[in-house]
Amino acid sequence: MIGKTPVWVLPIVALVALIWIVPLLGLVIISIRPMAETTLGWWSTQEISFTLDAWTTVWDKFPLAYAAWVSTKIAVISTLIPMVMAPAAAYAFHYLSFPMRRVLLLIIVNAFVLPNQVVVIPLFLLWRDLGMIDNMWSVIIPFAGLSFAWSVFLVKNYLEDFPKDLIEAAQIDACGPIARFFHIVLPNMLTPIAAVAILQFMWTWNGLLLPVVFLRDELPLPALLARVQGVYDNNFDQVAVAAIITTIVPLAIFVIFQRYFTAGAQTKTGSKE
Amino acid sequence: MTSKQTSGIGRRTILGALAAGTMLTPFGFGAAHAAEIEGELVMINWLAGAQGEMMEALQADFVEKNPEITFRNIVPTSSGDTRGGIRTVLLGGEQADLLINTWPAFRQELLDAGMILPVDEAWEENNWSDLLADSWKDLSTIDGKNYGVTYTFGDRSGIWYNTGTMEKSGITPPETWDDFIAGFAKMNEVGITPVSIPAKIWAHAEWFESTLLRVAGADFMSKLARHEVPWTSPEVVTTFEKLAEMLKADCCLDPNTMLASIWRDSADTTIKTGETGYMLIGMWLNTRAKQEYQLEPGKDFDIFQFPAMGMGYDNQSMVDAKEFNVLSSVKNIDAANAFMGYMLTADAAAIMADYGLASPSSAVDPSIYDPVIQRAVNEVVSAEKVHFVLGDLLPGDLVHEYRIQIQKFLQDPSDETIAAAVQKIEDVANSAY
Amino acid sequence: MADVTATSVDGSKGPPIGAMRLPRQLSQSKAAYILLAPLLVFFGVSVIYPVIETIRLSFFEIKGLAPAKAVGLGNYFKLLSDENFLRALRVTFVWSFSATLFSVMIGWALAMACALKPRETMVFRVLIFAAYGVSEAVVGFIWLGIYRPDYGLVNGILGGLGLENMQQAWLGNPDTALTAVIVAYVWTQVGLPLMTCFASIQSIPRTYFEAAYIDGAKPMSMMRHIVMPLSLPGVRVAIFINLLQSLKAFDLIYMLTGGGPVRSTETVGFFMFRESMLNFKLGYGAASTVVLLVAVLIVSTPLIAQRTRAVK
Repeated sequence: MIGKTPVWVLPIVALVALIWIVPLLGLVIISIRPMAETTLGWWSTQEISFTLDAWTTVWDKFPLAYAAWVSTKIAVISTLIPMVMAPAAAYAFHYLSFPMRRVLLLIIVNAFVLPNQVVVIPLFLLWRDLGMIDNMWSVIIPFAGLSFAWSVFLVKNYLEDFPKDLIEAAQIDACGPIARFFHIVLPNMLTPIAAVAILQFMWTWNGLLLPVVFLRDELPLPALLARVQGVYDNNFDQVAVAAIITTIVPLAIFVIFQRYFTAGAQTKTGSKE
Repeated sequence: MTSKQTSGIGRRTILGALAAGTMLTPFGFGAAHAAEIEGELVMINWLAGAQGEMMEALQADFVEKNPEITFRNIVPTSSGDTRGGIRTVLLGGEQADLLINTWPAFRQELLDAGMILPVDEAWEENNWSDLLADSWKDLSTIDGKNYGVTYTFGDRSGIWYNTGTMEKSGITPPETWDDFIAGFAKMNEVGITPVSIPAKIWAHAEWFESTLLRVAGADFMSKLARHEVPWTSPEVVTTFEKLAEMLKADCCLDPNTMLASIWRDSADTTIKTGETGYMLIGMWLNTRAKQEYQLEPGKDFDIFQFPAMGMGYDNQSMVDAKEFNVLSSVKNIDAANAFMGYMLTADAAAIMADYGLASPSSAVDPSIYDPVIQRAVNEVVSAEKVHFVLGDLLPGDLVHEYRIQIQKFLQDPSDETIAAAVQKIEDVANSAY
Repeated sequence: MADVTATSVDGSKGPPIGAMRLPRQLSQSKAAYILLAPLLVFFGVSVIYPVIETIRLSFFEIKGLAPAKAVGLGNYFKLLSDENFLRALRVTFVWSFSATLFSVMIGWALAMACALKPRETMVFRVLIFAAYGVSEAVVGFIWLGIYRPDYGLVNGILGGLGLENMQQAWLGNPDTALTAVIVAYVWTQVGLPLMTCFASIQSIPRTYFEAAYIDGAKPMSMMRHIVMPLSLPGVRVAIFINLLQSLKAFDLIYMLTGGGPVRSTETVGFFMFRESMLNFKLGYGAASTVVLLVAVLIVSTPLIAQRTRAVK
């Protein structure tokens, strides 16, 4: 944006963000105070002491490094797939005419209303028959498949604002539809692709239901850390540690990829302005 | 999903003969068999947190005594109710030898689906009757056959209090219902709310169940669980009326607060801060009080058995328990039996005691337990009859409706509400069985 | 404006326009299927197959591990006369509508504000997105502490401000429980519209602003005439994702209220999860999923049809 921004913008955003942060701050504080102090609330001031016990316990008790590696493999592959295929699909639905176009789009988009548990048992039986239990692809395939329900819609929405003149220009040439996609449209889709990457990575990294049912020994991080909390005892300080560890990585991805949001702005202005 | 099976049919028969032949003393069952028990033992083990650690320790100790054994744990995890995860594992056809089970309704479900085997044979061969009283065997018996070996239990009719609170109010732990209610006035006078009922999800049902036990006895409860008597029975109505008596004597906080609380909140105010006087919950409160409040059992807090009502069932107790079921997909039956037997030994009990869990085995010296657990154990062991928590006996949607109707009752303990509540539960029960 | 007579990528000149009409139709379809094929494989296995299974399951009565019993449309009749399901539909209507409305409005407003100062607001945006990333169960626990009647943060602050009469058992009062849960849920959800709208705004070409600036427009007016309309894709995506996710939400509600008090926070998502995963009545749970799917299909079909009109 250009021009002098009003002074009240930053303070208001800061105020809102502060309200937002309070519960998150609580999470961090619970992880560094002894449980006896935080039972009545992490803000209780009767006795204040800090300890890294929860952190060291989680670190020692759980094979975090390996689980993180499993999580990385699963999340990265599950993210790359829609990053490539969703734009292709969105392009096809938006610019190409082919039979069953609307029906297919309807089916794909409506699939988003399906909760994960619908997928769990049928796929579990299928993977079991195929001997794919404890194989990371048993998780990656549904992660990718389910992602199309929202990622195609997302990319398509951003496409709708795409200047049509560029496409028309390319159509006059002998550029086939696929070449057009790769050379003209795709480079301008960096914004929605980045958005897809951020969301898909976060959801697959955090994913619990599918990995916990389909995987046995090759557990990703959240599945492993689900064991921290007992049925009757709380260990909430350790649970807080687990939550913080798990959430840091998708946040890092967010920071990295959101840089690409502006990439679309550069190329969209057309070639020779 | 590979399971190592090292012994063929022939070997197993020989081992079985050996087991039958060598009649061992009730203690130290595992020792003489150490050389023969081998292979992989697969357990569906959903315990997490502290109890998970405990099971790890027990398995490690067993392996020390039986070095040829390796454990493989199948760990189902799921949101909300562990049984969902277990069912998924079983539906998927995964092979396992033992299952940890704490829901009699689930045991029935497994039996109906042909997924568990009776343990009577092993029971006879290993003389587990010397270690486990018949009342435990009865808990896991269905139609004359026994399907479970109970390894731990808890008293669910124990009312917890902070010793300081009692002193402050000038009360001693009441033995009769009338004394119990009479004490409320004294507590209210010094600003203590007598009873904390956490009614958000399930813990409020404890009050209903222990009261029903006093009013109608264990046999009636069993009939109710099987829906052989209706929920509109006078015994059920009387139970609600007794609870209404309690509510009208100013026992509790306002209904909204009760509905917003879970047992941990009640524990905080009853045991930690002493703002409320009593709460009725299972033995796991002991662990919380020791670990999170850092209080001493017996000294800072204690437990007394649900007061007597003089209707003939005062020497009975509600209990919860965990047992092992042998699955029909079992491959290493000898190791499975050996482990179940091990769980009844004094060594196993000692490990469990560290984690605050009581063993039902008579091989155990109660002095290994802290005073609160000792008291609870004595109450249960000396009870004339015990009954499993009703909530774990009923089918899923019935339990849900049952808990919600008790919530409605807490909101408004009038006769109309009681009548409507029991009728509603009865309606749902009719379609649930 | 791009040069209309530019040569194609490889430098050759294309055939005359008229001659391209028929081959272009075929190659468009072929191209589409080539672009869609891998997606359809993944989608087919992970979605179509389970949906067909779910529909099949909905015609059976399954209680836990017991063998399935064929009941035809029995589950559907039971569902439509089940007062708990109907109540869940009503609760869901309020829940989804308010949660989506508030989270999108707040997210959008924040996105516009942040777009004014993208670098400085980076930390805030990360933290608000973190609220979206933390697992619902953990969020539930945090908000339990906030709403606790005796030692919770909300009542504590009210007390500190001298407003004791407003103190409540927020999660235990049937009148306030749903609102309380919605507030907690919106807290988690704002991160999404914030991100998608921000992304939309960031991808607006700078030249639009330059042109407006030259015309003498002030930032607030640029906001109204450039940013708001051009951030609509982000808004649409946010509404789509937030709305449909709210229909599925379970963990947060379970932690905060368990569906109570007296079922006042039981949404359809909660109902579905409870029936399928907790009560393990797979047939009944499947039927409720199918009903929800059909309902959403009915609503979305005209919307999608409208937005996928003529392709050039």
